[in-house]
Amino acid sequence: MSTAPPPPALEFSRVTKTYPGQPQAALQDLTLRIPRGSRTGIIGRSGAGKSTLVRLISGLETPDLGHIQVQGQPLTPATLKQLQARTGLVFQHFNLLAQRSVLHNVTLPLELRGTPKVLRERRARELLQLVGLEALAGRYPAQLSGGQKQRVGIARALVTDPDLLLADEATSALDPETSAGLLTLLTELQRERDLTLILVTHQLEVIRAATTHVAVLDQGRLVEAGETASVLRQPQSAVTRALLDAHRPEHPLLAGETLHHLTLPDLGAATLDRLARQRARIVRAEAHALGVDVWLTAPDHVPAAELGRTGLGGTGLSGIETPRLIPEVSA
Amino acid sequence: MTWDVLWPLLWQATLETLWMVLPSALIAQILGTALGAVLTLTRPGGLRPQAVVYRGLDAVVNVGRSLPFIILLVLLIPLTRLITGTSIGSTAATVPLTMAAIPFVARLVDGALRDVPGGVVEAARAMGASTAQTVFKVLLPEARPALVHGFTVMLVSLIGYSAMAGAIGGGGLGDVAIRYGYQRFETGVMIATVLALLVLVQAVQWLGDRIATRTDHR
Ligand SMILES: Nc1ncnc2c1ncn2[C@@H]1O[C@H](COP(=O)(O)OP(=O)(O)OP(=O)(O)O)[C@@H](O)[C@H]1O
Ligand SMILES: [Mg+2]
Repeated sequence: MSTAPPPPALEFSRVTKTYPGQPQAALQDLTLRIPRGSRTGIIGRSGAGKSTLVRLISGLETPDLGHIQVQGQPLTPATLKQLQARTGLVFQHFNLLAQRSVLHNVTLPLELRGTPKVLRERRARELLQLVGLEALAGRYPAQLSGGQKQRVGIARALVTDPDLLLADEATSALDPETSAGLLTLLTELQRERDLTLILVTHQLEVIRAATTHVAVLDQGRLVEAGETASVLRQPQSAVTRALLDAHRPEHPLLAGETLHHLTLPDLGAATLDRLARQRARIVRAEAHALGVDVWLTAPDHVPAAELGRTGLGGTGLSGIETPRLIPEVSA
Repeated sequence: MTWDVLWPLLWQATLETLWMVLPSALIAQILGTALGAVLTLTRPGGLRPQAVVYRGLDAVVNVGRSLPFIILLVLLIPLTRLITGTSIGSTAATVPLTMAAIPFVARLVDGALRDVPGGVVEAARAMGASTAQTVFKVLLPEARPALVHGFTVMLVSLIGYSAMAGAIGGGGLGDVAIRYGYQRFETGVMIATVLALLVLVQAVQWLGDRIATRTDHR
């Protein structure tokens, strides 16, 4: 006898959500499965619908069409309370209660469920220890750094022992070092507590550093989903490629250097921006195809900044010539 | 008039003023908070939007706020008689004072609750908080400093109103000012009453501000 595989942690079936008075759907016909025990990144540009996805899972919004299953259970008004208890939420701006101490921020979800005071405080202290803040239990949120506040947010999200943890831009308001520390913490917690972690972000570094799976949203639609490694290696959609380009580290092009046989995605947007500032010129592919090692002169030279408009970005190029005389300006 | 006559007179009048103002303030705070919370919840975009209820209550509050106290005092005489059995004296004055303060408190509470960051309310909802829990565990506690401040402002206004009630037989400092200062031309008594009111208002304001800052953890 074979047993059915466990249901995915989360399943969206043809979900559409339009906010009242908005011309465009925030999410359009979204079908997506998030594997149990995964660390899944949701990435997309601003307005892609990432937060809407989180709001639907946490019951803050309801879909217009389609359905959502959490841990194999349909999300309905009848199951909402119970599923909310199994879902922890971490917010970009922490959303801690300013008039409650750190300890009592963490006890709040248990208080709402009627857990006795002694029990909930013991449990909250355990979680504060887990995130390294047991010494600050008596402080108030205003007395904490951003990173510490988010640790409180994580402790609060985990105090009900959920099996799904949703983090919407949880590190976006923090500096890179603090952000990296929190991602490590989230990753460790996910492993130790066998959680399904959903990390919503617009930062590719977050996806790269902390996720096993990724879903790419654009204008309310799912454009790509899969294991992080394969999506990053072989992006299938233009949107994903654009995201990758924007986050490629700058190519160490030196002043006066000439590069051949490059494609634009190799360079990435950051490098192109710098080249544009330096008034670098690119040489048309056709010239190179002729096998002539002679650089064309203007107007065939196209400034890097113009690439998008000329359509050259898609066709590839033969080389980029950086000017000799303009020194690198450090930002 | 000598000091040993003036002192007991002022002291007695101050007690009467407090007797009019404090119970009125407490009752108005409770009823006004309830009304303010209903306004916050039912307004468009609130946790329980109810356009009809909201517009109705909003209009009532606006009317209540714009009625001059002296008019309210007269209009409410039948109600006052019904509740206290008389329309004269300190006890009777608590009825119009309470009624004048309720819409005032409702406005202040509504504003204070709407100033609680939306993200915090959302976090509570995502934790499964009911509407009642959101009000009692999140909105009201988070708005506490603003509520204390609002209570102080209301108390100060009521002390002013109570002097007006005193003028038409409500007792208290206003009554003394009228009877001795105005009708018997005892300017000294008039000045003493004004000073007593000033001290009372200052004390209330100071205490209220102190409690508000002491308990604010932001
Ligand atoms: N409460 C709302 N009322 C109306 N429209 C909304 C509301 N919330 C979001 N939208 C719209 O829905 C779309 C998706 O928004 P959403 O917040 O899900 O995007 P996002 O991917 O999280 O963006 P960001 O990266 O900026 O956080 C946007 O066009 C947005 O303007
Ligand atoms: Mg968002």
